[in-house]
Amino acid sequence: MLDVDAIDTYYGKSHILHDVSFEAGSDEVVALLGRNGVGKTTTMRSIIGLTPPRTGTIRFEGEVISGKSPPEIANRGIGYVPQDRGMFPELTVEKNLEMGLGTADRDDDVVRAIFDRFPRVEDRLDQKAGTLSGGEQQMVAMARALMRDPKLVLMDEPTEGLMPSLIPEIAGITRDIAESGYSIVVVEQNVELVLDIADRVYLMDNGRIHEQATPAELRENERTLQEYLGVGL
Amino acid sequence: MALASDVAVAVLNGVTWGLIVALIALGLNLIFGLLEIVNMAHGSLYMLGAVIGWFVIDATGSFFVALFLAPLAVGMIGVAIERGVLRPIEDDVSITLIATFGLLLIFQQLALMSFGPGTRSVAAPISGTVSFAGVSYSTYRLSVAVVAVALMAGLYLFLFRTRYGTWMRGVRQNREVASALGVPTSKVYAFTFGLGSLLAALAGVLLAPIVSVHHLMGLDVLAVAFIVVIVGGLGSLRGVLVASLTYALVENVGALFVTPVRARILTLTLMIAFVLVRPGGIFEGDAV
Repeated sequence: MLDVDAIDTYYGKSHILHDVSFEAGSDEVVALLGRNGVGKTTTMRSIIGLTPPRTGTIRFEGEVISGKSPPEIANRGIGYVPQDRGMFPELTVEKNLEMGLGTADRDDDVVRAIFDRFPRVEDRLDQKAGTLSGGEQQMVAMARALMRDPKLVLMDEPTEGLMPSLIPEIAGITRDIAESGYSIVVVEQNVELVLDIADRVYLMDNGRIHEQATPAELRENERTLQEYLGVGL
Repeated sequence: MALASDVAVAVLNGVTWGLIVALIALGLNLIFGLLEIVNMAHGSLYMLGAVIGWFVIDATGSFFVALFLAPLAVGMIGVAIERGVLRPIEDDVSITLIATFGLLLIFQQLALMSFGPGTRSVAAPISGTVSFAGVSYSTYRLSVAVVAVALMAGLYLFLFRTRYGTWMRGVRQNREVASALGVPTSKVYAFTFGLGSLLAALAGVLLAPIVSVHHLMGLDVLAVAFIVVIVGGLGSLRGVLVASLTYALVENVGALFVTPVRARILTLTLMIAFVLVRPGGIFEGDAV
């Protein structure tokens, strides 16, 4: 499904990603774990084309997408939940969802399924996104990424910056989406959530992927988590 | 009684002129809002609309063909400007300012070469006057006002009811996320510049029978359009409409009592004073 092969990404002269490779198969949930600033978000931005890699290739469904523009990449069937939620604050929730279609046609069955999953989003359709709470905005961002019925969803820190009381609900929705057959690449600091939903976990540090493990392996080897995140279970 | 009817005519003139200014300024505001480009060439696109319209009328004898063709041509010129000139330098505000000023000079000189230095008039496609309550007023001017209102209503519906309109508003608010969600942002930019240009040219053709057509006619309008955009509030469409109407009404009614030059001075003084008190414009923080 997604094959990231030896990419190097820069912000201007700063070399952020070094030889990053990983893959996500069909229906697979892959997580990138690591401390702040190790390059997780840059990896996501490299995939969607916002910060294209300077070397290396990214393939989606066997075709090279690195070097293409973000709209071209997204319109191949990739949904994107940006860090900080990326609302269009002056647009209504409904129009925010419409933006998530890109150039795809609206499918009423898909929209129905999204509203079943996010009833609070449906309640707020006519409200401006900028007036929603952080948790509601996160739901809109996730619902928006699903509008095009994507084959792959990129989720950048879905629980970041939320009130602690909201995290279980957003985590539950993330789990629910993961279980409904989408391929997912998720960047997340909430270790419990990651270990709960991921099929495989890549551990990042200093712009590199150092290890790959299954959640079960990580649960047994708390030292690895300590090393990469500074936290235990 | 004579004064009352003079005032009524001045108010009607003010409304018509205000609506036309609003059409021009809306295009300018759309372009600034989305592309963050201060388009110095905007007035010359209005002038091009009138000049191309004059040529089309000269060739076909039909005002309505001109009203269709000239804005379309200028709209395409706008798309070409965005793609060919502005796209490569989009990240540098000062260079876009110089580039659009250069375009202003180029269009002016092209018009001078082809159209000549003189002023020419265009016959109104609708003649006669309508009378009500003891005031008679040009049917054509009234029609221009109606058409301008219809165009603005159309623009509003386009921005708020169509997918492309949603894209334009969304890209303005968060261009990076819009592109990452699959919105073809570069097409949206070119389209917006084309639409703004088309609106300016439409105003040019509509006004051609009212003012005389000449190659410098865009300069005056450019200054006015900038002022109403600033007074209305950058990015605010209703602000532009309110500011345009206020500007044109004060100036037209003022000209009944003082010379037109003094009326213009008065209007500009009021608007500058307003901006000093409220720098964000009438509808500060309003976004399309």
